[in-house]
Amino acid sequence: MNPVIEVKNVRRSFRSPKKKEGLAGAWKLLFSPEYQDHEALKGVSLSIEPGAFIGLIGANGAGKTTLLKILSGLIPPTSGEARVLGLEPFKRTLDFRRKISLVMGQKAQLWWDLPAVDAFDLIRAIYEIPVPLYKERLQTLSELLDVTKLLNTQIRRLSLGERMKMELIGALLHWPNVIFLDEPTIGLDVVAAQKLREFLREFNRREKATIILTSHNMEDIERLCSRVLILRAGELIYDGPPGKLTGDGVVELRVRLKETVEIAQLATLVGIPEASVRKAEAGGAEEEGDAALGVFHLSMAKERIVPSLQKLMSAYTVIDMGVSEQSLEGVIQKLFAEKP
Amino acid sequence: MIALRLPRFEWRWAALRNGLQDATAYRIEFFFEVLGAAVVPAAIQWLLWYAMFKLGGATSVAGMNYQDMVMYTLTSILFTQIRGGDHDFELSEMIRSGGLSNYLLRPAGVIEFVWLRGIAPKLFIAAFALVIGIGVGLFFGLSPIRMVGAMFLALIGNIIYYQFSASLASAAFYWEEAYSILMVKNMVVQLLSGELIPLNLIPESWSWVWKSTPFYLFVFGPTQYALGRWTHAEYFRQLGIGALWIIAMYGLIKLTWGLGTKRYLSLGG
Repeated sequence: MNPVIEVKNVRRSFRSPKKKEGLAGAWKLLFSPEYQDHEALKGVSLSIEPGAFIGLIGANGAGKTTLLKILSGLIPPTSGEARVLGLEPFKRTLDFRRKISLVMGQKAQLWWDLPAVDAFDLIRAIYEIPVPLYKERLQTLSELLDVTKLLNTQIRRLSLGERMKMELIGALLHWPNVIFLDEPTIGLDVVAAQKLREFLREFNRREKATIILTSHNMEDIERLCSRVLILRAGELIYDGPPGKLTGDGVVELRVRLKETVEIAQLATLVGIPEASVRKAEAGGAEEEGDAALGVFHLSMAKERIVPSLQKLMSAYTVIDMGVSEQSLEGVIQKLFAEKP
Repeated sequence: MIALRLPRFEWRWAALRNGLQDATAYRIEFFFEVLGAAVVPAAIQWLLWYAMFKLGGATSVAGMNYQDMVMYTLTSILFTQIRGGDHDFELSEMIRSGGLSNYLLRPAGVIEFVWLRGIAPKLFIAAFALVIGIGVGLFFGLSPIRMVGAMFLALIGNIIYYQFSASLASAAFYWEEAYSILMVKNMVVQLLSGELIPLNLIPESWSWVWKSTPFYLFVFGPTQYALGRWTHAEYFRQLGIGALWIIAMYGLIKLTWGLGTKRYLSLGG
């Protein structure tokens, strides 16, 4: 199967004026501006199959939105090559624009003072959707998102969640083959975000549309995406299933020991690599102050928990212990915290 | 075989309808905007002519007497409303804030789309102004045919004005903020279109200034024709000049926006 998206060694840099603080800085900017260059993407390569639901994640400024802008044709790469549906996005051919859609959670594309149904009618005309098909799609989408009763309400009178749902309908009425979603659940409450997730999953399943989703909400990623791309400081540092990140069947054993023990000693005793043992930091989010003393986190397969505990209890005094699944959020936090 | 693609009219018609719906979403605001924009400048002009002719004692200025001035002012109101809107500011703000992104990805030209949404209420006003112009004009002995022709020229002027403004708005691709340049343009256009004063008042030795721009076609030209001060031959000559300006401005838009969109950063998201 031919990939629907192909990115080869894409780089993108931006130049922006640098302002020093205060009035002197403003004065300098006016007459002798200084510029700084920032490389938002550093040689990213990837390939995506049709019908995939991809999660694109990264800390703020990691390059997620820049990559989406390149793929949707808003900006060109500084170097490298990007192809979507076999076309060069930045040429923005009519054919390309008919087949893609970009939803930015922070940018409204519907008209504030008009009811959604008027905006949808204009979108229908722009994409030349036959009226019966348009009506059918509008009914399907508004029912899936539970906003049928709000179609005739002025956009500005809707809640944030309702507006986001309308934005999604507007972006999907032409049944795009590729959908770019930039933080679609931003600002939504738990129920609205859940509804939106269900809808996206259903749309992807039913229509086989390729969806790329960026989100800071790991629940979005875990529940929807079969594949995750992680960007850190403009570099692609992970490309694979989310399960592989958390380690399928891997759990974390947390033990507090009375004795002072080295990580290497524990790893040898239990029979796991040193990298799988982590000592809790005092003052960190996990353990406060003295409570952190002697607390270790050991990642291992579920079936190894009991024998490992037996070994630990025979060698040391275990004050307390607990077992937890590794969360995607936790893994991502660690990845983001690491220096590139 | 070469496949000919017919122009797509449906989205254009839908954009017009949508623009009118948007402009009239707040009825009171819409009517105040129209009446305020028409009445206030006219009242200022009338005061000026009153001061000049009645209080100052002048009998004729640049060959125009008090009645000529008042007739000019009242007739020009019909066309100042058609002249243009603030859609150049909208374009520049879209570039600056990144709102342009939504439009660039739709299969419809962004410049034309914004113009169509902007011209919609102007067409409504033009129709309304035409009915008033013909009605009142008949009372003063003005030709209805001339009034229709003048309104058509004003609409040609609207296209040129928008093309020029949209080209200037593309400065936002380079400077991020184009508000000042658009404000200056508004002031220059107000003066050189004949919206503030009849252009005959500008000394003959300076007339090349307004004659070398298309701005006089927006208000002064239509008013002159409606008042019977231009011959039909002159009118058609001016229509030809207007058509040439449209072609030239079309080229300017292609150039400025073609270059500008290459620099677009789609900020704000």
